[in-house]
Amino acid sequence: MADTTPDPDVTDIRSDAPRRIRRHSTRRRWVKTLTPWLFISPFIIIFCVFTAFPLMFSAYLSFQEWNPVAGLASMEYVGLDNYRLAMDDPWLWKSLYNTTWLALVSGIPQHLIAIPVAYLLVMAVRSGIRQVYTATFFVPFITSTVAISLIFYTIYSGNSGILNQWLVAISKWPVFSWFLGWVEEAMPIRWLNSSDLIKPSIAFVVIWKYTGFNIVIYSAGFLTVSKDLYDAAKVDGCNAWQQFWNIALPMIRPFAFFAITLTIIGNLQMFEEPYVLTEGNSGGVGQSGLTASYYLYLVGWEWLEMGAAAAISWVLFLFIAIVTAVHFYFNGKKGLGGDR
Amino acid sequence: MARVELVNLSKSFGEVKVLHDLNLTVEEGEFVALVGPSGCGKSTLLRIIAGLEDATSGEIVMDNEIVNDLNPRERNIAMVFQSYALYPHMTVEENIGFNLRISGVSKAEKRERARAAAETLGLTDLLDRKPSQLSGGQRQRVAMGRAIVRNPDAFLFDEPLSNLDAKLRAEMRDEIKHLHHKVKTTSIYVTHDQIEAMTLADRVVILKGGVIQQIGTPTELYRNPANSFVAGFIGSPAMNFVDATLETSGGQTTATLQDGTKLVVSVDYAALGRDVKLGLRPEHLELAANSATNAMPGSVRLVEPTGAVNHLKIKVAGQNLTVVDDTLADLALDAPVHLSIAPEYIHVFPKDE
Repeated sequence: MADTTPDPDVTDIRSDAPRRIRRHSTRRRWVKTLTPWLFISPFIIIFCVFTAFPLMFSAYLSFQEWNPVAGLASMEYVGLDNYRLAMDDPWLWKSLYNTTWLALVSGIPQHLIAIPVAYLLVMAVRSGIRQVYTATFFVPFITSTVAISLIFYTIYSGNSGILNQWLVAISKWPVFSWFLGWVEEAMPIRWLNSSDLIKPSIAFVVIWKYTGFNIVIYSAGFLTVSKDLYDAAKVDGCNAWQQFWNIALPMIRPFAFFAITLTIIGNLQMFEEPYVLTEGNSGGVGQSGLTASYYLYLVGWEWLEMGAAAAISWVLFLFIAIVTAVHFYFNGKKGLGGDR
Repeated sequence: MARVELVNLSKSFGEVKVLHDLNLTVEEGEFVALVGPSGCGKSTLLRIIAGLEDATSGEIVMDNEIVNDLNPRERNIAMVFQSYALYPHMTVEENIGFNLRISGVSKAEKRERARAAAETLGLTDLLDRKPSQLSGGQRQRVAMGRAIVRNPDAFLFDEPLSNLDAKLRAEMRDEIKHLHHKVKTTSIYVTHDQIEAMTLADRVVILKGGVIQQIGTPTELYRNPANSFVAGFIGSPAMNFVDATLETSGGQTTATLQDGTKLVVSVDYAALGRDVKLGLRPEHLELAANSATNAMPGSVRLVEPTGAVNHLKIKVAGQNLTVVDDTLADLALDAPVHLSIAPEYIHVFPKDE
C-alpha cells in the first residue's frame, strides 16, 4: 500500500504557491498600469504646471482684485466686478474693434497673396529655385517681430522715413504723377501718428511678416496635388485658370483651413507689432492701434489690475473661441477633408 | 471618330531619346494596343497623342489635320488614366459631367448626358458618391464614364486596368471590349500586359526602347513574330529560346542543339547564318516517344499544375524549356522524357538579335 502521508516540505510549497502567484500577479498588474503613466508623466507635469494651473489661476483671479506688487495677501474677492468693469470700459470695445479690423485687413491679403504665389512657385518654377524663393519669403516669419517693427517704425517715420521719400520721388514720375499729385502737398504723411493711418500701417507689417509662412503652407498643399489630376483636367478641356480654380484650389482646402485658422488665432492675439509701432503709448493716437492683447497688457502690467486683466483675458478667449467656432462651422467639414 | 496618324514622331528628354521616328496609322474606329516593357515609351507616346507632351519632331495627324500645336481640348480626345485621376472633391456625377461643364454645356444637358453615361456603365446608384467611397472597379468605371460622356474623336487608355485584381481586370477587359463594339470610337490602349493587348485590340504595336518592333493583328504577331523580342513578348507562357546551329543538306534544313539533338526546320533559314536561336512555344512542345519527329531527350525539373494543363520545366540540351502539357501526364521529378515539336512551329532567329 502506498504511503499517502504528505511530505511536509511539499505541503508547505503547495500551500504557499497561490499566495506567491497572487502577489506576483498584483505587482505585474501595477507595473502594467503605471508604466504608460510614467512615460507620459513629463508631459502631464509640464501641462499641469504651465497650462492647467495658470488657466485655473487666471479664472480664479478674474473674480479677485489684486495688485501683484502688493503680494498674494492683497487679493480680495470682488465677484463679477472685474467683468462688469471690463464690459463698461470703452477701451475694451475699441480694442476689440481694432483687433477685428486688423485681423481682417491683415489676414485676408496674406492668403490672397500667398495662394497664387505658392501656386505659381509649384507650377512654374523648378524645384531648386522654388526652394530658394520659398526660403526667402519665409525669412520675415523667422525674424524677430520687434526687430521688424522697429525697422518699419523708421520706414514709416514722417520726416526721415524712406516710405515718404519714395512716395515723393515716385509722384514726380510722369506715369504716376496723375494719381500721386497730392503726395507732395500732403507731406509729411505721419503714418504712425494719424488715427486713420495707424491700423493700415500695422496691417501692412503683419501682411509682410506672415505671407511667407502661408506661402510655405500653400506650397506644401499644392505639391500634394497629383500631376494626373492636372492632366485629367487638361484633357477635360480646362485652361490654366480653370485648372487652378476647379482642381488646385479645392484640393488644398485642408491646407487653407489650417492656415486660416492659424491666422485667425494669431491675428486676434496681435500684440508686438502695434505695441512697437505705437511706441507702447496706449495704442497711439486715439487708441487706433490698441488691440485686445495690447489692452490686456496695459491693464495687467501698466495699471497693475491683475484681476481685471484676467477677466479681460477670458473675454478675449471667448471672442477668439466664437470666431474660430464660426470658422469651423462654415468651413470645418470641407476644410478637414470630410468632403472626400 | 478620327483617324490618327503618327509621322516620323520622335521624343527626347534632354539628351535621352525615348521615341525614335515612329510611324503608325490608327484607322477610324480601330482599337490599337501599344505594348512593351516598362520604359519603352508607350505612355509617353500616348501623352503626346493626348497633347499632354510635345513631340520633339514629327507630326500627329488627326483626320488629316496636323494637331501638334493643339491642346488636348482642341484635339477632342478622352483619356483614361492608370490612376483614374478622379477629382476627389467631386461626386461621381460631377466627375463624369466635369468636361461638359467646362465646355459650357447647359446644366440640364450635362445632367442628362452624365446620367446616360452612368447608366451605360452601371453607375446610376453611385452618382452622389465621392471617389473615396468607391471600390477600385467602380472608380475605373467612373473614369470610363468621364471619357465616354463627351463623345470624343478618340479614346486613349493608359494602363487602365493595372490597379485592379486579376478577376476584376478580366471583367473590365470584357466591358471595354463590349463598349468599343458599341461606340466604335477609335481607341489607343497602352498596356504592358500582352494578354490584355491581344484580347482587346484589332491590332497590336510592340514597342521596345522607343522603336516599333512590329505592328499586326494578335494572330499575326503570334504566328509570325518579326524578331525574337516580339516572339518572347507575345504568348503565355513565354516562348523558349534554344541555341542551335543550322545546316542545309539535301533540300532539308536541320538545326543541331548543343547536345547534338537534330531538329528538322520546315523553312529554309540558311540566310540567317549558321549560329541561330530557335523559338519553341510551350504549347507547341509535346511529350512524345523517342522515335517521334524532332524528338528531344530531356528530364523533368518541375511540374506546375494549373488545373486545366500542367506547366512543365524540362531540361533539354542544358536549358530549361517550359512545356504546356494538356495531357496532365503524371511525371516524377528527374524522370527522363522526350519532347517533340512539328517543324512548322519552330521559329528561327539570328543568334545575336
